[in-house]
Amino acid sequence: MSVVNVGHDAGHGHDGGHGHDAADLHAAPPPKASPVGLGAQPVLLVLTLLGLGGMGVSLLLWPQRAFSGLLAAAVTVLMVGLGGLVFALLMAVSNAGWATTLKRVPEALAAALPVGAIALLGVLPGAALLFGWVEHPHGRGAWLNLPFFAARMGGILLLWIGLAFILTRSSRAQDRDAALRHTRRTVALSALGLLLIGLSGSVAAFDWLMSLETHWYSTMYGLYSLSGVLVAGVSAITIGVVLLSRRGRLPGVGDNHIHDLGKLMFGFSTLWAYLWLSQWLLIWYANLPEETTYYLARTSGGWSFLFWLNLVLNWGLPFVLLMPRAAKRSPEHTLRVAILLLAARWLDVYLMVAPSGDAIHPGISLPELSALLAVGACFGLVVLRALGRAPLTPVHDPYLGESQHHPG
Amino acid sequence: MTSGLLVAYFEDENGLLRAAREARAAGLKIHDAYTPYAVHGLDAAMGQRPSRLPWVTLLCGLTGTLLAFWFQRWTSAVSWPINVGGKPAHSFPAFIPVAFEFTVLLAALGTVAALFIRVGLRPRVGLPRVLPRVTNDRFALALCTDGEDFNGAAAAELCRNAGACEVSAVEEAP
Repeated sequence: MSVVNVGHDAGHGHDGGHGHDAADLHAAPPPKASPVGLGAQPVLLVLTLLGLGGMGVSLLLWPQRAFSGLLAAAVTVLMVGLGGLVFALLMAVSNAGWATTLKRVPEALAAALPVGAIALLGVLPGAALLFGWVEHPHGRGAWLNLPFFAARMGGILLLWIGLAFILTRSSRAQDRDAALRHTRRTVALSALGLLLIGLSGSVAAFDWLMSLETHWYSTMYGLYSLSGVLVAGVSAITIGVVLLSRRGRLPGVGDNHIHDLGKLMFGFSTLWAYLWLSQWLLIWYANLPEETTYYLARTSGGWSFLFWLNLVLNWGLPFVLLMPRAAKRSPEHTLRVAILLLAARWLDVYLMVAPSGDAIHPGISLPELSALLAVGACFGLVVLRALGRAPLTPVHDPYLGESQHHPG
Repeated sequence: MTSGLLVAYFEDENGLLRAAREARAAGLKIHDAYTPYAVHGLDAAMGQRPSRLPWVTLLCGLTGTLLAFWFQRWTSAVSWPINVGGKPAHSFPAFIPVAFEFTVLLAALGTVAALFIRVGLRPRVGLPRVLPRVTNDRFALALCTDGEDFNGAAAAELCRNAGACEVSAVEEAP
């Protein structure tokens, strides 16, 4: 437990040997991987199997809802994984140092993207039940046809998984050889990757969610969905960081890191609300029949309660709960808000998916919850495995010193 | 206010931060610190209380929200009801953008105004004395000398040990 770590020491030479309050930081864990969440892993495995069982039953009884639930669960989990990837790329492209000490968490989220990808590909056999354009003529056949749709889906998922793979591989390689070139390459990868994610993320939102209603369109939809990706990413990172540092696994993390994550949750939640309002207000204002169908379906029947609850859970509550400075600095409090935001993320996706069918009333029961349980638990399991595959503190990252001496 | 100050000058922020921490630990009263740019962690090192400015921001922001909603409702629904696209005169959603903008405007202007008033930043004849070089390349820590048991030599020694390149006494608060 007493491996001297050069990268760390180089980082705070400016302290001039002083600074007793930072002395505990010297006890960084040795650069070797160790398992994470060994107690939770069997539980998650059992939950995944239970969820799969529930999905099997739903598939026989309510096939349409089973696929709709799977789509909502898959997109939610993809948002979390992609959110982790985007966070890591954003930190790299902006040369941000504060998050380096916790960067294994976003990397592990990105490494679990394949779970969401497999779940989403599982929706393809039931595409005819969800996407009206599969069987009905609609005049947009050049873009919305099943072979091209599946090809785009495969391409986009491969792109995200590929970016996550290159990112984690280079980050872990630096653990072994301490070479600076990995950091430089990751900056280049980030610039290109963020551009590609911006474009592919919009296409993904148009394809997988917006095309559920063949004739409805909104140019805000891509950005709206990507704001959800940012919220999902930062919330999941906060949960991971708080739970890990509570167990002493992230010695470099202090209140200032939690504060920053809280600020980002607050900001991204508000960005989401801004885009939610922008999309809704313009359609409300213009009042054009081909645009209002989307909101008509969601504010009539039993849906309107969930529609407004969505706004409260995704923005109203987090906005109030995270506004005081002390709230953003408390690990327990930010953990609670992060869990709330992740649950609300699923609700938002569910409301993008489910009302597009012919259901007049919302139904959240076995088909939806079993899919969420199976995909979510499997995602959590893969995240834990990914966390155990690399040292939780990236000891040779040149920004580690800066990150561990985060002055707020 | 303060009758006299002991000012220690530093080449860099680390010396300043260290001196601020040690001066507080030694029971010395810090008058203020002067730096060419914002130094992270200085507030904590000086032991400053959290700023009360956010409360002004919140209050001004809420005032802006309420004022904007009230005024729009009065103009479009009460004083002269207008039919816009067949919507009801009091159409709450249409008022949101203006209310949002006015919230931001009042919050921002109110915060800046409150800051200027509180720190006494105003146009005036005869500028207050400015410590040399703190707007350029020096960092200064000003200690109060009015304490009962203030020991000037010991305080200067503490600052020099922390890395001060120069320590001098100033008669009145700058």
